Amino acid sequence: MHSIAVENIHKDYRIYERPQDRLIELLTRKPRHNLFHVLQDISFTVMEGRSLGIIGDNGAGKSTLMKLLVGTLQPTSGNISIKGQVAALLELGAGFHPEFTGRRNIYLNAALLGVPDANIAEMEREIIEFSELGDFIDRPVKTYSSGMYVRLAFSIATMVRPDVLVIDEALSVGDIAFQKKCVERMNEFRKQNKTMIFCSHSMYHVQELCDTAIWLEKGRIREIGESHLVVGNYEAYCNSRSVDHHEPLDINAVEDRKIKDCRVIYTMIRNLDGEEIDSIEPLTDVIMETKVEILADNLTCNFGFAIMRNLSEIMSAYLTTDLDDVPKGPFKKGEILTVRSRLNAVSMRAGEFHVLGGVADASGLLWYETKLSNLIKIKSNKGVGSVVMRVDWSVERG
Amino acid sequence: MFFSLLSQWLRAPFTHYRLFHNFVRQDFTGQFAGSLGGKLWLFVTPIVNILIYSFMFSVVFRAPMPAEYDGIPFVVFMMMGYLPWFAFADAVGRASTMLLEKAPLITKVMFPVQIIPAVGTLVPYMVHGIALGLFLFYLAVQGYFSLLWLWLPLVFLFQFLFTMGLVAILSALCVFLRDVQQIVALALTTWFFLTPIVYPVSMIPVEYQPLLILNPMHSFVQMYRELILLDSFSVVSFLVIVPVSLFTYLFGGWVFMRIRHAFGDVL
Repeated sequence: MHSIAVENIHKDYRIYERPQDRLIELLTRKPRHNLFHVLQDISFTVMEGRSLGIIGDNGAGKSTLMKLLVGTLQPTSGNISIKGQVAALLELGAGFHPEFTGRRNIYLNAALLGVPDANIAEMEREIIEFSELGDFIDRPVKTYSSGMYVRLAFSIATMVRPDVLVIDEALSVGDIAFQKKCVERMNEFRKQNKTMIFCSHSMYHVQELCDTAIWLEKGRIREIGESHLVVGNYEAYCNSRSVDHHEPLDINAVEDRKIKDCRVIYTMIRNLDGEEIDSIEPLTDVIMETKVEILADNLTCNFGFAIMRNLSEIMSAYLTTDLDDVPKGPFKKGEILTVRSRLNAVSMRAGEFHVLGGVADASGLLWYETKLSNLIKIKSNKGVGSVVMRVDWSVERG
Repeated sequence: MFFSLLSQWLRAPFTHYRLFHNFVRQDFTGQFAGSLGGKLWLFVTPIVNILIYSFMFSVVFRAPMPAEYDGIPFVVFMMMGYLPWFAFADAVGRASTMLLEKAPLITKVMFPVQIIPAVGTLVPYMVHGIALGLFLFYLAVQGYFSLLWLWLPLVFLFQFLFTMGLVAILSALCVFLRDVQQIVALALTTWFFLTPIVYPVSMIPVEYQPLLILNPMHSFVQMYRELILLDSFSVVSFLVIVPVSLFTYLFGGWVFMRIRHAFGDVL
């Protein structure tokens, strides 16, 4: 049973240069606007009792999508069908009247959400208790701090027990203790087989609260799937962008060979069984391998591997310069060397990278040649942040 | 489509009674929350206005009273037109900002928007209805009462429907064209002085008097005055009032419902 079905919706805004253009267009029926596509080709379904997270950059169309789901905006084309009563928390206390007390606003807000007064009276105590407002409930809402505001708004929206709850960034306000309560309340919600749509910049919350997630980019769905996978990819995308990353890495770009003493044939990553791989599970062991052909006699050299997000940023590098237990030559012309380095418990959690394998001279200062591997993808797992480490836990009394 | 829109327009205050009720209460008390005088201002404003106009027209300009109103104080004559007008003008004057003020609500919460013009019209009518009621009570004590007064609630209802239709159109238009705000303010002042409220019809040159039939507010004022002060039922006025009110109410509602979905895009 699906609870929300969105079929191929588009949303355009008409941009008018001057306000009177709108009127002239209405009268003459000659278009005088520019279309701005906010959302294009959006389709998804949410099953009853599941929760969906919406993530993406500012301006990707998240808020518009939420408004379409709630029904305050109409899609330009396409269909949205939602089963059951929807309660939305798109803006904190959108229905609050600042001059009225919190208690009066409970009634007002609940009426907006379509709850009969008799039921509100029952809920009133529970709402006040949950919002932790205490005596403030009888003071005008305009005297509330933003945290108190959101606490009241959240309490009301979830207390009316809608079938579908739509929440936009509500958790970002409020102290940690209340955030925790909200998460608990939302988890309770999921257990009651209610559907939830949640839009947030907090990747942690999206992962914790949502089964699936949608990554919106420039009004289109860039990715939809299990929330931890989508969040992982989105985080990786954000990280790669925060570093100046205009040109994608091109493996063949490193072709400028000035020194003809040796050449690197390839660089790649293998798993422990020796198979070439292009994706890694975090915290597993892998082997970086590069093959070198010696082109001059009597060559002494050093080897190195670097893990790179792009051509200018080395995430971590390993050189043989300071190591004595690695054979460094001298090698004879025509010899083929296979250089391997084992990475133990790869600690990158999300994203993609290349491995750069290279040969340097005896001092380690002059690089004969380097070669990039294919793009290696990290299979993101549940968690937050760009690094994951192997941990041991202990919880002890005293 | 046409009828479902109209029925949604007609039924909204009843099917969403709780919301309607809460909005009215919010609007009514919200006007005065935080002010010292509170509900006192409801009465102070019209009283001061009435005093000013009475002074201007009965003392300074000495408007001659028509013969049939002989012996009725000018203030009473004027108030019979002014109080209903004030309800109308108050509602229409607020129409332009009505939806703009509620923009955060309209864009963020799904609810029947058509309730807003209904609330925005009802509240001024309640407020000024109270003032009118008090004044009528005073007149009744003075011995003006007659059974014809039983028509008054019906006339007031038609005036309410007429106003609500206008409010619906203006509030919706103002979402798209903010200029409506200024136009409405100007139009109301013009309309006020084009309606024989603070002066009797007899002061208008005879050749222009038939044109007054184009002004529905004149028919309302005439209706009130004749019912209350002359104890007679103005059939001509009534025949104007009923179709004009019903048409305005339904047409306004239809326009509002037609463009309601675009509010979210513009607000």
